[in-house]
Amino acid sequence: MNNISKTNSTSQNIIDVEQKSLVSVDGESVLETLERADIDVHFNCREGFCGVCRTKLLSGSVEYKVEPLAFIDDDEILSCCTVPTSNIKIAINY
Amino acid sequence: MKYTTFNQKTIDTMLEPMFFGNSVNVARYDQQKHPIFEKLIEKQISFFWRPEEVDVSKDRVDFSKLTEAEKHIFISNLKYQTLLDSVQGRSPNIAFLPIISLPELETWVETWSFFETIHSRSYTHILRNLFSNPSEVFDDIVVNEEIKRRASDISKYYDDLIFATQLYQSQGEGTYELDGETHVINLRELKKLLFLCMNSVNALEAIRFYVSFACTFAFAERELMEGNSKIIRLIARDENIHLTSTQHILNLWAKGKDDPEMAEIAVECADQAREIFLTAVQQEKEWAKYLFKDGSMLGLNEEILCDYVEYIANQRMGAIGLKLEFESKSNPLPWMNNYLSSDNVQVAPQEVEVSSYLVSQIDAEVSADDFGDFDL
Repeated sequence: MNNISKTNSTSQNIIDVEQKSLVSVDGESVLETLERADIDVHFNCREGFCGVCRTKLLSGSVEYKVEPLAFIDDDEILSCCTVPTSNIKIAINY
Repeated sequence: MKYTTFNQKTIDTMLEPMFFGNSVNVARYDQQKHPIFEKLIEKQISFFWRPEEVDVSKDRVDFSKLTEAEKHIFISNLKYQTLLDSVQGRSPNIAFLPIISLPELETWVETWSFFETIHSRSYTHILRNLFSNPSEVFDDIVVNEEIKRRASDISKYYDDLIFATQLYQSQGEGTYELDGETHVINLRELKKLLFLCMNSVNALEAIRFYVSFACTFAFAERELMEGNSKIIRLIARDENIHLTSTQHILNLWAKGKDDPEMAEIAVECADQAREIFLTAVQQEKEWAKYLFKDGSMLGLNEEILCDYVEYIANQRMGAIGLKLEFESKSNPLPWMNNYLSSDNVQVAPQEVEVSSYLVSQIDAEVSADDFGDFDL
């Protein structure tokens, strides 16, 4: 589901979001990268169970740090508990 | 179809729908149609807490210093929270358990309701500390018009489903005349009632609770009533899990991953589901008006709270595939996230505002070195 891959990348991945390109620091969740760039994102629990940080994954792959419990569609990820395993393109407002 | 507490038939639960299939017999979790419910049970149980572990004694001093308008906000809010958990502590059990067909879902509903009873007990814990006789507060819940109006809307969908299920399980399908009212009972109608009830519960967990949380945390933002806020933070974390479960159920139906008839009903009753949500939004806005009738409090007023209702309604409606109804905007109460994030509940126990400080923090390790300077 949701392109979970086991690639253990130590290289820096790029997150493309709303005409911005952000560099993901190793081990940082997608949500943390977005917050560092002052992008207005929604979140609550930061632990994968509330689903407020639902984000559309347009391309690329991510890995879950904890198992997501919130309902997400097949093309969605929870930014609070995923780490990019490749360069990714995401949409926040959709 | 009569309900049985131990169905003697051999059933393959992997082929059963969530509701209105065969009643459950063996409480087994080795094979699961929808494993998400067991994961939610595990998560919920890992959150276990007891109200008595949270010290609310400082709140009494804070409360005596509040203005009359603030006291009205605080107490009315607590009354409303008490109402919500009174309903939620019993209704999922009574409405859903007799019609559930999957063991993992049955146990989830029982776990869910049990946690709501912890919440109910914690309101008494809070009020006992604030008043020498809290019965006046509790007594008002059933006579206060503002609260009653909400109560009837919240319980209506449960009551309709429960009544129809009782007729169905005792009399079977048919048309019945009772007290001058005609009731048409068939499985399709029952499923519709279930769908509407689940939407109403979802709106309750998604919107109604959060309006009350915002009021509680607005006091905590001013470093007031912090004991109360610690308890409500634990409650909010639980409610978040409950909300996730109703979102799962609604999405499993809508996406055709459970009972195909429920997928049809989801389309057929989509407007009613939307209406249930919008009614909850409207009622919460009216509630905000009532809360602030004597004056606002620092950091929160009717307008901001109504903005928050719309903000949160958009998110919650999006989560169950409904069209967003309100203009999208950023979070009008950004500090809410500090109270709703699970991180803050679990780490840094030395921080006084962290709710887990008093829960499971007893250090029972004693090493020989601890007795180093101990002489007899």
